[in-house]
Formats: sequence, C-alpha cells, structure tokens
Amino acid sequence: MAWAIGANDAANSMSTAVGAKAITPKQAVIIAGLLEFTGAYFFGKSVTETIRKGILDPTMITDPMVLVYGSVAALLAATIWLIIATKFGLPVSTTHSIIGGIAGYGIVYAGTAIVNWGKMGQVVLSWILSPIIGAIMAYLIFKAFTKSIFERKDPVRSARIWSPFWIGLAFVVIGTMFYIKVLHGKDLKTGVLMYGIPLGIIVFVVTYLLIKLRFPSSDPFIGVEAIFKKAQVVTSGYVALAHGANDVANAIGPVAAVYAVATMGLGGMQVPVPKWILAMGGLGIAVGVATYGYKVMETVGKKITELTNTRGFTIDFSAATVVLAASWLGLPISTTHTVVGAVIGIGLARGVKAINKDIVRDIIISWFVTVPVAGLISAAIFKLLMIVG
Amino acid sequence: MQVWTKLFAKSPFKPLIKHADVVLNTVETLEKALQAWYACDYEGMREFAIEVDRLEDVADRIKEEIRDSLSSKLMMAVAREDVLIYLHMQDKVADAAEDTAKWLLVKKPDCVPTEAKDIILEMGMESIKAAKLVHEAIVQMDRVIESGFTEGEIKREYEIIRQIESVEKEIDGLDTKLMQLVFENADSMSWGDGFYILNIARTLSNISDKAKDAAERIRLMMNK
Repeated sequence: MAWAIGANDAANSMSTAVGAKAITPKQAVIIAGLLEFTGAYFFGKSVTETIRKGILDPTMITDPMVLVYGSVAALLAATIWLIIATKFGLPVSTTHSIIGGIAGYGIVYAGTAIVNWGKMGQVVLSWILSPIIGAIMAYLIFKAFTKSIFERKDPVRSARIWSPFWIGLAFVVIGTMFYIKVLHGKDLKTGVLMYGIPLGIIVFVVTYLLIKLRFPSSDPFIGVEAIFKKAQVVTSGYVALAHGANDVANAIGPVAAVYAVATMGLGGMQVPVPKWILAMGGLGIAVGVATYGYKVMETVGKKITELTNTRGFTIDFSAATVVLAASWLGLPISTTHTVVGAVIGIGLARGVKAINKDIVRDIIISWFVTVPVAGLISAAIFKLLMIVG
Repeated sequence: MQVWTKLFAKSPFKPLIKHADVVLNTVETLEKALQAWYACDYEGMREFAIEVDRLEDVADRIKEEIRDSLSSKLMMAVAREDVLIYLHMQDKVADAAEDTAKWLLVKKPDCVPTEAKDIILEMGMESIKAAKLVHEAIVQMDRVIESGFTEGEIKREYEIIRQIESVEKEIDGLDTKLMQLVFENADSMSWGDGFYILNIARTLSNISDKAKDAAERIRLMMNK
C-alpha cells in the first residue's frame, strides 16, 4: 500500500515543479523520497484510527480476527485499485481507496448498518466539492496574479513588488498547513499566528531582498517565471513532506490495527503506532517514488511544456489554501482532487493553452468509482480470508 | 502521475510559431529571388525560387502535423476553429510566395521596364514586412495567452494587427500603380509581358492579403 501511495500520489506532489521544469525528474525523486520519508517517520501520526475516519461502527465488530482480516482485505483492495489507477494514469485518492476498502469488508461482515453513512456522505461530497473549490480558487488566484503583475503599466516594477507578496502569502498558508497537517495541530489561530505569519514575513523579506539584489530579467514574463521557479521547489517540497505525514496513515492504519490485535489481542477505535511501522510506511512510500514514481516524473518532465512556473505555483498555492480552509471548516477535501480542479481552473482563466477534455472525464469517473470498486475488491478478499481462515 | 502528461495536451501555439518561422523564411527567400530578378540574374533567381518552393513544402508539412494534433477533445485558451483558420491563412502567405516564385520562373526578366521593376521590388519588400508582422503577431498571441489575456498584451497585439492592415493598404496602392503603368505602356509592351508583370504583382499582393486575413483571425481569437 505504501509503495502504491509512493508510486501514485507522491509523484503527484512534485509533478507541478517537474512539469514547469523547476527541477529535473531525478532531483524530484530524491527530494520527494527524502521528504516523504521524513514526513511519514517524524511527523506521521503516532496514534491512528484503525477504522479510518469512523467509517465503521466499532461496537459491531466483536471478533478481533474480523479486524485483522478486514484490515488486510482493505489494504489489499486499496493497493490493487491504486495500482490499476496508476497504470491508467488516474489520480485517485488514496484516502478514498482505503475508506472504500474498509466499508467493503464492513458491509460483508455486518450488513449496511455498520457503515456510518453520514461519514460516507461527506466523502461523496468531497468528490464534488474538492475540484470545484480548487478550480474556483485557482481561477481567482491566477486572475489576481495577472492583475497585480502583468496588467500593470510597468509589469517589471509590479513583479518586483508583488512577487514577494504572493510568495510570502503562499508561505503563510504553508506555515499554517505545516502546523495542522505535519505537526497535527488543532488550533487554527495558533497555526496562523505562530507558524503562518512569521514564515510568510521571513519569506517575504528574503524574496524582496533577493529580487532587489538581482531581478532575473527586464522582461516581466521571464523574470517572474524565474522567481517562481525557485519558490516552486520549496512549495513542492512542502507538499511531499505534508503528504508523507498524512497519507502514511492510509497505509499503516490497518497495519497498526493488525499489530494491536496481534500484540494486545484487542482492537479499539484508536491504537498507538510503533515507530518501526511508521518507518516501514515511510520507506514504502520512498521506494514507490524511486521505482514507479521516477518513471512517471521523467515522462512529466519530458512532456509537459504547458505548465509555466507561475501556473505551477498557482496550483500549489490554491491546493494548499483550499485544503487549509477545508480543515478549518471540517470539510473532507481531497488534495488530489483539488489539484486537478486547480489545473482546470487555470484552464478556465485561459491560462493553460490546452487541456485534454477526455482525460478530465476519465479522472472524474475514476473518482466516483474509487469507493465502490475498492469496496467490492475488499469484500471479495475479506470473504475469501474468512473462508480460508 | 501519468495523468499530468495526458491532462495537458500539446498546445498548438509553439508549432504555430514554428510554422510562422518557415513562412517568414519563404517570403525572405522570395525577396532574394526578386533582387536577383531585378538585377537580371536569371540563374541566381532560379536557385532562390526553387528554395521558395521547397520551403513552402516544409510549411505544408508542419501545417498537416498541427491539424492532425488538434482534436476537438481539447479545451483550449482559444477556439479550435479560429486556430485552424488562422493556420490556413498563415500557410496561404507561403503559398502566395510560392506562386510569385513560379511566375518569376516563367520567363527571363530582361523585358520589364525599370519603373515596373522598381514597384515590384518595393512590393516584395513590403510583403516581407507583412510576413514579419504575422510572425510577430503569433508570437505576441502566445504572450497574450501566457499572461492570461491581460489588457496590455492584447493592446500590443492590436497594434501589430493595425500595422499589418496598413502594410496591406500600402501594397494595394503599389499594385494599382503597377496596373496603371502596364496599361499606360500597353503600346510598347507585348501582351505576354503585361500579363507576366501583372501576375507577379497579383501574387505578391496576395501575400499581404493573406497576412491581413491571418491578423483578422487573431483578432477573433482575442475577442472570444
């Protein structure tokens, strides 16, 4: 599962930077691999919910072995679905895959009543909300961006002033996100005041001074792109770190459940996760990036020429902002879906030269089938395990 | 994720610029042919005229490639039809240059009065101006898209379009002047010579006509 996350998702975190030629695929693999592992091992949750996100009613699972078989089935199902999706190049949510897997075995075991349908409804809502909000946000940020820089009388001068502002603002979001997603902080105000704003100010000052010292070009297009090229390496790196910290739970949550049953003989709603399991998850993700993710990023680096640095930055910025706002509002938002929405949003702002409509359609279909397909595969595996076991 | 490679389809704008490069090269080579023609250097002119023909073929091939890659499954910053029609017009500029080269080849230029030759050479130079401006216009269109359709870049594009229109007007004037000249000298000129001169003029003015049509299409791309 961790391997599949690395192959499917982690490559995604760096792809805007690779696509915009801010870094080479090789560099991306090294950075993503290291940061994903760091995120997973050092910042991965030490306590994880065994029945992720409260999808199943734990009181209805009386036999601990059900939890073991179910977790294995859910893990295998999510992995199989992720590998299939990766093969076809579809950016499906790893969280949704594992949720589908868990619901699948739950239904086979105790019927539909075991599933918390309210939670499932939220998941469905996130399919629709994430891309729409991502698209709106990217559209607005891209428009604000062009208005503040390219539409001014003296774009070079505007670029000198506004670029540090936009980069600083992005880092306010990133700093806050670091607190919430990586350090798993709960209070948004603390995140903004203690992490977001200080980081934003530091980045603003550093960027301002660097630009003052040496603006890359008299042409605003080339100059602005060069500035955002550097900023993008950092934003992508952050995405990889946060991704490792968060999504490792998708891979190791069910493993932790099995471990809890095996060592303590019981399965609760939440179980502590030993560091070595986190390390395994982190390593799995890093190996996934290095083996399959590498191939993906290499193709991205060679083929995408339509994604400029400012657009790549806009996508990262929008996705981070949306995910942050969603965490604050308690909405279940998928980062993967938000990123795809953001790409389309920039397209709608006439900022991307050509987007393949068929692929957009395939992606949307893949999102809708993720939960049911992972559920069906999981149900079949669970049934088999129960018979064999 | 492979999806990034597929989500972004190949945009036609860079290939359109590549096509414009070849078109400009075709017209520039035609100008060299015209200069040799002016100097009565038939052999030198012949070489350039053949080169014009070859370059026009290259432009055609690029045009086909762009057409093949532009499926209706794309969401683009501008309408697909406009891009296709624009490409057709841009290609017509090279076609017109090739037509002129063909006319130059049909006979030795020693019979043409100097006055007519002067006008034709001037038309040739103006045609290059038009082709250069078309090239500039498509490069600028790329920037309009890069900037997310900002006012300033659109304004710059309109300025180039206006210049193309003014060049076209200029060539039209020269064309009329040449027609008058031919008919004024009808008694001293053979029917064949007059026909030859007028057709060179017609194909030359076609270059700027098509350049103007291409510019019109760019205007439409920006308005939608």
